[in-house]
Amino acid sequence: MSEAVDHEVEAEESPDVDDPILEVDGLKKSFGGLVATDDVSIAVERGSITGLIGPNGAGKSTLFNLISGFYEPDAGQVLVGDSDVTGLPPHEIVQRGLVRTFQTPKKLEGMSVREAMLVGPQAQPGESLVPIWLSPSSVADAERANLDRAEELLQLFEIDHLATERATEVSGGQLKLIELARAIIAEPDILLLDEPVAGVNPTLARKLAGFIEELNESYGLTFFIVEHDINFIMRLSDRIVVLDRGRVLTTGSPQAVKSDSRVIDAYLGGGGP
Amino acid sequence: MIDLTRTERTVLGVLIGACILLAGLVGTGVLSASYLFYLLALGGMYVLLTVGLNVQWGYVGLINFSVAAFFGIGAYSVALVTSPRSPLELELHPIFGLLAAIVVTVVIALLIAIPTLRLREDYLAIATLGLAEVVRLIVLNEQWLTRGSAGVPGIPRVTEWMPLAWVPFDSANFRNFLLVVGLVALVFLIVRRIHRSPWGRVLRTIRADEDLAKALGKNTYRRKMEAFVIGSVIMALAGVFYAHLNLFLGPGDLDPINTFYVWIAVIVGGSGSDRGAIIGGVVIVAILEGTRGLVAVVPADVSVGPLRLLLVGALIVLVVRFRSQGILPPQRELIWPGTDRRASASTDGGEDRE
Repeated sequence: MSEAVDHEVEAEESPDVDDPILEVDGLKKSFGGLVATDDVSIAVERGSITGLIGPNGAGKSTLFNLISGFYEPDAGQVLVGDSDVTGLPPHEIVQRGLVRTFQTPKKLEGMSVREAMLVGPQAQPGESLVPIWLSPSSVADAERANLDRAEELLQLFEIDHLATERATEVSGGQLKLIELARAIIAEPDILLLDEPVAGVNPTLARKLAGFIEELNESYGLTFFIVEHDINFIMRLSDRIVVLDRGRVLTTGSPQAVKSDSRVIDAYLGGGGP
Repeated sequence: MIDLTRTERTVLGVLIGACILLAGLVGTGVLSASYLFYLLALGGMYVLLTVGLNVQWGYVGLINFSVAAFFGIGAYSVALVTSPRSPLELELHPIFGLLAAIVVTVVIALLIAIPTLRLREDYLAIATLGLAEVVRLIVLNEQWLTRGSAGVPGIPRVTEWMPLAWVPFDSANFRNFLLVVGLVALVFLIVRRIHRSPWGRVLRTIRADEDLAKALGKNTYRRKMEAFVIGSVIMALAGVFYAHLNLFLGPGDLDPINTFYVWIAVIVGGSGSDRGAIIGGVVIVAILEGTRGLVAVVPADVSVGPLRLLLVGALIVLVVRFRSQGILPPQRELIWPGTDRRASASTDGGEDRE
């Protein structure tokens, strides 16, 4: 994750990534006459924390929706690991190891926090109707293991005291932590976070950054993060991708990106000659 | 036995009170035992319909305006296959009536769900609204199949085998009552088990936020399809029971108003709650049938039919105003039985969280 940083400054136009876990190639999407994503190519290094920034309307959310299967691209390709996931429905992309979170997660009505956590695990036998009747012991075993794992993760994120609280009664910041924990329990290879610290107080934001680094180091989990909080994302990321008006403006180390005049222009609303 | 929440104790108390009242009415001869069991059998039928709709609306949030149609499909399948007066002239054993009802319901439910469940939820609502009318018009107009408005008489009874010679009153309705109690118990055990499973949890996630369920790797289209089919089959079962209860079937039995009674029952009982669905079904029947007694009370120039609708309307307003989550909304965590270590350690699931 750090060796890629050295030669970043001169190689900014051709992101050279040795072992990409996520590759986006020539992705295009327009809504009516509006081109939201215009020929975007991005590679995310396995085991890295990659940031995606850009001014409002740059196409960050559209890109996330295209990658995770919520939108179908007009052209281009998305590869997760070695498999082409272009045009697959979201749940099949999750099975390939890519999980995403949402900017404003909806609260799960009528569920406790740990029930909401239990939605995360993949391939639960009890999610199909046949095992519920024919092999209830496999359902019970999986449920027991998932409950333990959920408690473990809630402890890791220091919110285990909320386990049996109603999911509708936790604060916005706690909800962000629960969302992250729930995404982890799905055991992804790469996690796409959509504004993980939006509306979160600075203390909790620092805590979140710590958790993300810890998960990155101890599990080798790859992160691809959209975030408006520039300090947060610059400190956390190994690489930064800058989008502007549906195109990749530049790619590079946080330092290189920060000092790039085009990035400054884009953020200051420039764009004149 | 188990610790009950305040709401549950109240509901239980009211139910026991109602039972005592009914027993008193029978004991004093105001109400005949036979008629009481007919009412209770009818109540059981409404409970089945309500439980079926609760699987669709309460669990997943699917809007089905075809309750009366699926009920009718179940009932007419039985009538056409088993009755000697049916134009099909098959006269099969009632078990084939039941099978026919299930098969036809599954096929029609799939036909309506496959094209609409991928779209926004409103489309299922529109399509089922259409289906209800189509089924009713087919029953009314395709006389070669259904005898149209003449209806299908001669549906066989299915409860003669019960050893009830000792009962001191006409036992036909009592038998039907026992049959529907068995059916409700069976259906309740089945839906309770799937509701408490991870399958049920996926459904509840879809109801809250379908995109979230998708993003967590859930095949939401498939789960919605399963819930729609299961709910529709339960409604058809109610129709099967009704055919054997009433022994005659006409197009009037598919009255669309029944769909809305069942919707009210689900909402009044508490959407998403299995026991709430049962309570809701009972309450609706209590109002619809209990108000028949009003004839003796209200002045002769007031007609009871509209008054009944007025009461149902008032009930909705009251529930929405004072208890918008329903009488018995879901109150406990739903985790696969026997896997929760916390449940044995603490009792914090027992308090009424309001």
